[in-house]
Amino acid sequence: MFTRLFAAEWLKLWRRPLAWAMLAIFLGLLALSLILWTLVVALHEGVLGINLTVLRDEQVAEIRRQLSLPGIFGMVLGQVNSTGGILAILLAAGSLGGDYSWGTLRSLLSRAPDRRAYLLAKTMALLLGLLIGIVLGLLVGVLIALIASAWLGLPHTLSVRDLLVLPIGIARALLIILPYLLLTLASAALGRSTLAGIAGGIVFLIFDIGAGSLTSLGLVNPLIRQVINLLLQPNINSLVMQNGQLFGLDQSLLTNALDPTVLPAPFQATLVVIIYSLLFGYTAWRTIARRDITGAQ
Amino acid sequence: MSNQAPDVAIATEHLTKRYGERVAVDALTLTVQRGEVFGFLGPNGAGKTTTLAMLLGLVRPSAGRAVVLGVDVAANPVTALARVGAMIEAPAFYPYLSGYDNLRVLCRAGGIAATRIAEVLEVVEMTSRARERVRVYSQGMKQRLALAATLLPDPELILLDEPTNGLDPAGTAEIRQLIRSLAARGRTIFLCSHQLHEVEQVCERVAILKAGRLLAEGQVAALLQRDQRLRVRIEGDASKAIALLKALPWVTDVETAANHLIVVTPTSRAAELNAYLASAGVPVAELAPELSSLEDFFLEVTGET
Repeated sequence: MFTRLFAAEWLKLWRRPLAWAMLAIFLGLLALSLILWTLVVALHEGVLGINLTVLRDEQVAEIRRQLSLPGIFGMVLGQVNSTGGILAILLAAGSLGGDYSWGTLRSLLSRAPDRRAYLLAKTMALLLGLLIGIVLGLLVGVLIALIASAWLGLPHTLSVRDLLVLPIGIARALLIILPYLLLTLASAALGRSTLAGIAGGIVFLIFDIGAGSLTSLGLVNPLIRQVINLLLQPNINSLVMQNGQLFGLDQSLLTNALDPTVLPAPFQATLVVIIYSLLFGYTAWRTIARRDITGAQ
Repeated sequence: MSNQAPDVAIATEHLTKRYGERVAVDALTLTVQRGEVFGFLGPNGAGKTTTLAMLLGLVRPSAGRAVVLGVDVAANPVTALARVGAMIEAPAFYPYLSGYDNLRVLCRAGGIAATRIAEVLEVVEMTSRARERVRVYSQGMKQRLALAATLLPDPELILLDEPTNGLDPAGTAEIRQLIRSLAARGRTIFLCSHQLHEVEQVCERVAILKAGRLLAEGQVAALLQRDQRLRVRIEGDASKAIALLKALPWVTDVETAANHLIVVTPTSRAAELNAYLASAGVPVAELAPELSSLEDFFLEVTGET
């Protein structure tokens, strides 16, 4: 049943204009970020004939690393977990909410009534879509980085080890998106609409990022730090930071939220993100499995 | 109940659905035989669609059971619905996909060979428009596509909810013909419709639901004879016949129609009535049970008049 439903979900996702629009927006924003980073370095180093030093030297050095191989991998994966996460929420909300809004959930589940398999198939299809998006993002990133580095004279030191750890980085990036994706599916199922899915996902994201900014309070008291580190965002930040470190980056130079001294340890971060994912996934599953499937909303 | 007779397509036993205080379907017990064309009637809000949704495992019953093709739907929906095709409420499709791709999605989900798509599109005469996106389809085209989707699994049991909605008279006649041909091939058809004329033409048995309760169920012909009325045509002056008939203790009433009389009496008295009039010197040219229309019967039973 799962395989059949996965094939159906993949066809729906592959043919959906919203999915392609999200991909185009993601790649466009990624390209824009890389072009801006390139201009920042160029201005800092006077390549354009103007010398503008708004960033410290070590910050510019970090950006130079992000524009070079293998640092570009970390940079792209960081983008996946910021703008990509928001776009994933929109895509997931549209995917399940659309089935409710159009009433297609009824026709689908009256033919393939295993609701658990339906939710699993939808989640896996979305993750596969995101995986393809990440791979395309990496390709675009590498292409722009090669052009930028040729212009700015940046060195490349790509090793076999970098390529071997790349799948780990990609898997971690997907894990970072997973709780938001599942929360969005749960919200869409609870509200039986795309709008409810978007609202649930985005509102939580805003709340979570806000709560994540409390991380610095952890410097005041270890107990406060432990409590704050049970929230999702500090653990997400920890995983994002690890993905950067995997490719020689130190993103704390550019973002205070990625200060390794106050963020949770890698094992805790992974565990907490998995627990949140299970919680949201269970909510989505329970809602879809137990609720009556009504007509178009 | 899952060990029921193999000739039963649908069996519900005290099937009930409550939404808080409101009872949408109230202890519905119904049996539909295999190969039967069964009409399921009721005014808006009677609980027809909720019953269909429970038969399809989409809505969980508050009490009672629904068994489809010998399998309890709640206990084993995958097996129960494997040979069921259903069209419930308005046609629902992905507007960004073509008609063909919408059917592909359903084929994949249902584990049906994609070769069926061309066959069912041919049946509903949608082959030439199948590659267009559904968002440009008219209501009638969506209705045809929904029928095609229903036929995809070559179902043994077909549940149809208002299948001719949005169709023009020609399209309606074609669907009626399609229902007949499916029935001729041994398919069981459970038809929910407001088109009482249509139901009367294609259904062998009907059930009438109101406010979730079953008001009547039976063979269409038997239900329409329920009034026990005889249609009598007299040669010549009918006034003598009226006087004679009104004198009979087992005749409740005699009504005068355009060229005949309607005698309200048990139809089993037809031969006796004929003999009585003949012996009194009143020649009877025609004598037959008077059938009311399904619409009349429906309005009477549901109190909608």
